[in-house]
Order: sequence, then structure tokens, then C-alpha cells
Amino acid sequence: MPSLPTVSFTDERLANGLRLIIAVDRLAPVAAVNLWYDVGSKHEVEGKTGFAHLFEHVMFQGSRNVGKAEHMALVQGAGGTMNGSTWLDRTNYYETLPSHQAELALWLEADRMGTLLDALNQENLDNQREVVKNEKRWSYDNRPYGSWYEKMQGHLFPADHPYHHVTIGSMADLDAASIDDVSAFFRTYYAPNNAVLSVVGDVDPDDIRRWTERYFGGIPANPDIPHLGDLSVPALLGGEVRETVYDKVPLPRVYVGFRAPKFGDDRLDALDIAAQVLAGGKGSRLHRRLVRDERIAQDVALVALGFVGGASICVGWATLRPGVAVDQVEATLHEELDRLAREPISDDELARARALIETEELGGLSRVEERADRLSMYATLFDDPDLINRMLPRYLSVTAEQIRDVAAATFRADNRVVLTYLPELPPADTAALRTDEDATSPDAAGADDAAEDEEVAA
Amino acid sequence: MSDTPVARVVAERPTPGTPRPYEFPAVARTRLANGLSLAVIHLPGRHLVSGTLVLRNGAADEPDGEGGATVLAARALTEGTERFDAIALVEASERLGASIHAEAGWDAMSIGVDVPATRLEPALELLAEVALHPTFPEAEVDRLRDERLNDLLQAEADPRRRADEVFAATIYTGGSPYRRPSGGLKPTVERLDAARLRAAYQRGLDPARASLIVGGDLTGIDVAGITERLFGSWGAAYGAGPTGSIVAESAVRDRFVRVVHRPGSVQTEIRIGHVGLPRRINDFHALSVMGAILGGLFNSRLNTKLREEKGYTYGAGAGFDLRRAAGPFAARAAVNTEVTVPAIVDLLAELDRIRTAPVDAAELKAARDYLVGVFPLRFETPGPVVGALAGLAVHDLPDDELTRYRPAIEGVTIEAVLAAAGHIRTDQAAIVLVGDADAFGAELEAAGFGPIVIERDHGAQDEGRATAVQNDLEPVDEGPAGPTEGAESGEASTADAALTPD
Repeated sequence: MPSLPTVSFTDERLANGLRLIIAVDRLAPVAAVNLWYDVGSKHEVEGKTGFAHLFEHVMFQGSRNVGKAEHMALVQGAGGTMNGSTWLDRTNYYETLPSHQAELALWLEADRMGTLLDALNQENLDNQREVVKNEKRWSYDNRPYGSWYEKMQGHLFPADHPYHHVTIGSMADLDAASIDDVSAFFRTYYAPNNAVLSVVGDVDPDDIRRWTERYFGGIPANPDIPHLGDLSVPALLGGEVRETVYDKVPLPRVYVGFRAPKFGDDRLDALDIAAQVLAGGKGSRLHRRLVRDERIAQDVALVALGFVGGASICVGWATLRPGVAVDQVEATLHEELDRLAREPISDDELARARALIETEELGGLSRVEERADRLSMYATLFDDPDLINRMLPRYLSVTAEQIRDVAAATFRADNRVVLTYLPELPPADTAALRTDEDATSPDAAGADDAAEDEEVAA
Repeated sequence: MSDTPVARVVAERPTPGTPRPYEFPAVARTRLANGLSLAVIHLPGRHLVSGTLVLRNGAADEPDGEGGATVLAARALTEGTERFDAIALVEASERLGASIHAEAGWDAMSIGVDVPATRLEPALELLAEVALHPTFPEAEVDRLRDERLNDLLQAEADPRRRADEVFAATIYTGGSPYRRPSGGLKPTVERLDAARLRAAYQRGLDPARASLIVGGDLTGIDVAGITERLFGSWGAAYGAGPTGSIVAESAVRDRFVRVVHRPGSVQTEIRIGHVGLPRRINDFHALSVMGAILGGLFNSRLNTKLREEKGYTYGAGAGFDLRRAAGPFAARAAVNTEVTVPAIVDLLAELDRIRTAPVDAAELKAARDYLVGVFPLRFETPGPVVGALAGLAVHDLPDDELTRYRPAIEGVTIEAVLAAAGHIRTDQAAIVLVGDADAFGAELEAAGFGPIVIERDHGAQDEGRATAVQNDLEPVDEGPAGPTEGAESGEASTADAALTPD
């Protein structure tokens, strides 16, 4: 068993509260700068959905000393790459550059953290509103099965919970966003004491400290960052929710979704491994049974998405082969989840899952960009950047019994959403396809993307 | 919140430090007695090792009647070998924490593995088993073929895949393999069986034309010895077919518009272009710089105009897909339906502008600096390093192609960019649209881009005001399907991984 190299890092704060994490790695002449703000779509209120993500786009429209889209020009001109992304629990901004250009990224991030509103105008807001609306059309509205994720998240959280709506938001709310909204959002959440800055790579820590102090040190903290209330929800949905959707799709698809333990809870580690055993590649149980042996599905998927507020979710699907009954596929899917909830997996299955997770971690942590992102994530969500070194041991210590237990607690009929997507057909034909009163369905490529965060650039 | 304290920031922009010297990693090359080329790249500290065997049979080498055989053959390699059935194979590789993956694209087939260095040898044993002793079990081949047919059904509903398919079918003549997706279309895919897959696979099974590339921290590992043990007895007796020339002729004479009507679409997928260029050209570096300026950089002309000025799209771009023979050139964007025609006007105007007028010095500098600077970022880990070398093998390019890349980019001039832009044609281009023709049809006619063909259903066509529909515009009766993922992520992209801005 290869041992993972430990990520050594320093962890400190500026006087204004900005948390700075530095990890040196001299292997390649590259440096990653990664800034997480503790604000995401969960901070949006009714009528303002999609706002955190729209705001992320505005962050690339210039600040006091940087012109519109000049952020991209400067980073790419330095031989770097950059992006930003928004998700339920966070917004992050990141640059990866040749290491001698690291200072540029710090200067750029500080200028917009301090002075975004100097450059804000109606024209830029309107422009990015249209861009984001086209992002929504491209990622969801104009895709087969494209509505599944919004429906799934909506069913898994109650209407008054901030996870009820998805990060991309609604067209009506995007249309309603005003300059005042942008200003208020910026003043409230974009403060150094609400952010974590991680720098990883071929850098001198003393340089990074000096530059961080120079560029960020003069940005005042916001002492009044509002805290979200109690986001807890019952562990179980409390009943089965079913919906049938008719869409422009050639093949029916059955989606399932469950409430799951919060991100950070070690039961979610066990559920991650359960998802690996069920749908992680060609050796997995669902693939083997539905796709390979019984040949009733074209493809299968299952994944746990970790959220820190109230509950995570575990979602998956099977795309039907032509001519197969929806009922049969759904029943087989449930059967395999139930089997995992009844019997502990074999030693060999567990060993294989562990080996794959280990390789995946080794691959992920080999890139400075990924390491910087994880340090920022663990610091922001758990105040514990050292989790970067402890997550793999946690995964490797999960037992067959823990997997069975979390499967039993999660994969229950009274904790699930079932969406069945069916092809749009004339009513007579549709009746023949339906095998029960409820039916709906989604998309393979779109499903992956929909479960991703929203980025500023495609 | 009115009395927010004032932020002090520093107006002065930082100047870059001293770049750390960088060279593409050294490649140690040897050759086995049977001719197999071995490239070993030692990358200290990179404990996840990447290995790839490249076979020189691509989808472009298939007879017309067997379109899709090579991509499917690659997929079938892991479905059974002389020693393992599919499940035994996947379990054996999972125990190593390795995934053995095989895929084919237009120009080659590759069998690859990523595995911790400590388990490299048993992983390469599995790779050799998959590469040299596949059995193509009939039942698994049938399943894979049916999955591809179903995937083609799915592709019909996906506007992006449909636009790519129709575009390729529109710009190439009937005799070109590039007219179809590399994974093939229904009429040929439904005829594929184990014998045809085996034939496609065997076209590449010549050690003298194959390459094994291994990169990572190989301290204490005798890669050459392992390779000799696993591949030394691989003889040319397995048989191999020579590669013929690939037809890549243009079907586009005068500019025209082809619309696939998709009622209710909220966006229109636009492709504008024509048959482009092969990988082996003298002005490759100028073409890369030109492509970055036109449609590669975030602040490329197309993205700046259509996204940052107009808000028509989430992203617009353009580029040449360089293959052994001339792959397509396309400008592309998905725009909201109402702005379909103005977006086409803007795209054509930008294509014309870069063809006819020199770029600014600042644009040239931005593109060169990006391509040169981002090079080391791309090769941080073993996977991309191995992928770049696989690309060289596919195109018979020497190792110094990578070391000379940055100086060559630095040397590109404004004149060279203008000359490279001369490969773009706007008067002999196809404009392919997938969207709601009822919403923009009248405006499209009025715009006068050229003759218009509208396909409202499978094969059914409405002809616009013009009747000059060339005979190569027959309907795509089998319905377009996008290239499969395996086909797209194959060697065609690795060849130029370093060379195409994202």
C-alpha cells in the first residue's frame, strides 16, 4: 500500500480576519491561489434565487484598478488559468499560475475583495445577467432530462429550507436582480473575515505572507456578518415522493434521491463508499446487474453530495433500455440498495473499494489546484484544514457494518424521491409505456453537470 | 450599511518574479527486438504512475461499411481475455487500485492505466493481457453494440451532439470517414459483430508501429525489463494492416445554411465552418496562436463579442481539430433563440476580420504569453505528460516537438497569424443550426447568408428560398448522434493537449 504524502501547511490570520493557509510544494514550477468565501446559494432568500452565482460573474467585471474582463486577460497573459464557482455552501475563486506569477493573483483577488463596487455598473450587471441566463439554458433548460436536479433538490428539502432551491436560481429572480442587491450582497459577505485564502505550490511562504498583508491588509472586516439560522431537517423525508415528467427524451430514466447525513459526519464517509460499491465503475453492483447481466439499463449512476446544513443528498439513476418496463428497472434498483442495507459487503468488495478511493485521492492531491481547494474547503466548512490529511484514513477505516448501517438508515422507502422521465408521446402511445400512475426521467451528461457547481466560464 | 469603512488597496500592479527554468521532462527511449517503442519518463515525487500503449489503428482507418468498429473494439478489449472474463479482469484491476481503460479515436487506439507506483508491474501485466489477448466474447460484443445504438438514440435528443453530427455530415463528402462520428452510426453499428471488431483491432496489432509510454516516479522500477517480459514475445505474426490514405474532402462549395428544426428550443446551437487542416503542417504554431486570439482565450474575439459585449451566450469559441488528415474547423456557440441571426452575423464578421486584417500587437502578445506560460501547468502530473507523448507517436512527430514548442510559439509574428487565418473561409462555409426554426426562420431568410435547408423531421426537408441544394446535402436519415465519450477523449485530444487553450 503506498502511503499518501502528508500535506504540510501553515495556518494563520491577518488582523482583519483573513485566514491564510500556505503549503509549499516544489515539484513543479506552479502555484495555486484559492479563495473561498463562506457564502453560497443557501444564503439567498426567496425572490433572490441564483443571486450568489450571478454575483460571482460580476466579480470578473472589474474593480477599482482592474477593467472589465481584465482579470482573465492578466491571468491568462501570465500563463495561468482561473475560474470561480458557486455551490450551496460556498463561492470560490481560483487561479493557477507559473509560480513566479503568484503575486499577481493575490493582487487581483485583493482588489476585487476591497473595491468591487467602484467598477459596478448597470451595463455590466445586465450583460452578466444575460450570460447567466444563457448558462442556465445551456446547462439545464435546453438539455434532455435537464430539469431533474432542480426537481430532486426541491423534493428533498422543504420549501422553507435554503437548500430547496438550486444554485442557478430562477429566470424571474435573475431578471429582478438589481445594482442595490449586488451592493448589499458584497458589503455583507465579501469581507476578509468571511474568507479563506490558500496558496499551494512552488512559493516562498515569507513572500506570500508579505504580499497577502500588503494587498489584503487594508481591507476592513465586516463585524456584522449575519449567521444563518438552524438549517436542520429531519433525518428522513418522512414518506416517498414520486413525480412523472414527460420530456424530449428517447429513453425513459428513473432517478432516485435520498436524504443523507451531513458533510463531515463519518456516516457520510461510509455512504460515499456505499455509492462506490453500488455504482463506481464496471465492477459495481448496479452496473453488473442492471447493465451487464440483466441488460435492462443503458447506464447507472449513484453519488453522495455532501452539504453542511441539515442534510446531504444521495442521488442516482438508471437509463432504461428500449422496451424495458419502468417498474422492473425501478424495482431492481431498490432491490440492490436494499441488499446493501441488509448484508455486509464482502472483504474483497471492501478492499477493492478502498484501493480505488486511495488511487483517487493520490490523483486528486497530486495537483496544486486541488490541494488548495481542499484546504480552503476544510477550513471554511469545518474550521479544520488538516482534514486534508485525515479524510483518506477515515475512508480506509470504514467497515462493512458501517456501510450496511448507513445504507439501512438511508435507502428507505420513506426517505426517497423517485422521478421518472418518459418520452413525450401522443397520449395513446404514452399509456402503453406507463406501468403505473407515476412516471418521470433525466440525462446522462446533463446529470453529471447538473450536480456540479456553477462556474463563471464553461 | 452606508458607512462601510473604506478599503485600502494597492493600485500598483505587481511585476513577475524570475521564472524557474522549465523543460519538458526528459524521455528515455528504447526499442524492443520486435520493434515496440518504449518511452520512459521519470518524474520524481509523482507516485501515481501513468502508462499507455498506443496502437496505430484509428476510426479513420475503417472501411465505410464498418464505421464504429474500432471504437467499439477498444471498448470490448476489457470485456474478456484468454485468462480473464470481464468481471475477473475488473476485479483484478480494482484490487490494484487501478483502472484499465481502452479507447479509440480517429487516429489510434490506446490502452491505459493509472496506478500507484508500487503496483505498476501487476497493472502492466493486466494491460498487456488486455492489449494482446482479448477474446471479444460474442455476448459482450452484442451488449456493447446495443448500448451504442441506444446512445445514438439519446444523441438525437441532445442539441449539442446533434449539431456536431450534422455539421460533420454536412462539410465532408460521402467518401470521408470524418463525415460520421468516430463511434459510427446506426447502419454500420448494427452490423458489427465480434469478427468485425477483431478485424478492426488487428489493424493496429503491429509492435513495430506501437508505443508504450510510462511516466511517474519510477525509482527502483525496471520498466524496460518489465516491458521485455510482457511484450517481448509480441510478434508481427499477429498481423497488421497498413494504413491507407484518409479521404477528407470538402462538400462545401458556396456558403449555405442547414437548420435542424427543434421545436421549443430555448437556445440555438450554431456551428460555422468547413474542412480544416491535418496535424502535420508547417504553420502549426502560428495556427495555435491565431486560434487562441480568435476563439481560444477567455478574451478571444469571439467570446468578447458574443458573451462579454452582447450577452448572447455562456461561451463562444472556434478552433481547428487537427487529425492525421484534415479535421474540421468550426466556430461554435449556443445562443438564446431570439438572437440566432444577430449571433451568426457577429460570428461571420469576426471570422472575416481575422482573415483580412492583422491582429494587434497586444493580442499577439497575450496569446503567445498564455500558450508559453501555461505549458508547464499542463504537465504537472504524469497523465498529461504521457498523453502528449502518445500524441507524438500518433502523428509520427519527434520528441523535440515538445521542447521546441515554446520557442516556436514565441517566434510567431503578426504576419504569420494573418497567413494562418487564411485557412479560414467564410464564403465556402456551412452554417449549421439546431434550434427552433419557426422562431428565427423569417429573419434567417432575410439575412441572406445563403441557401437554406430546414430539416423538420428525420429526413424531411423544407427548402428555403434557394433551390441550390447540393447533392451532398442529403438528409441524415439515421439521425445524428454525437461522438461517444470514449471516442472524443481518445488520442485525438491528447495529441494537442498542450496546444489548445481551454
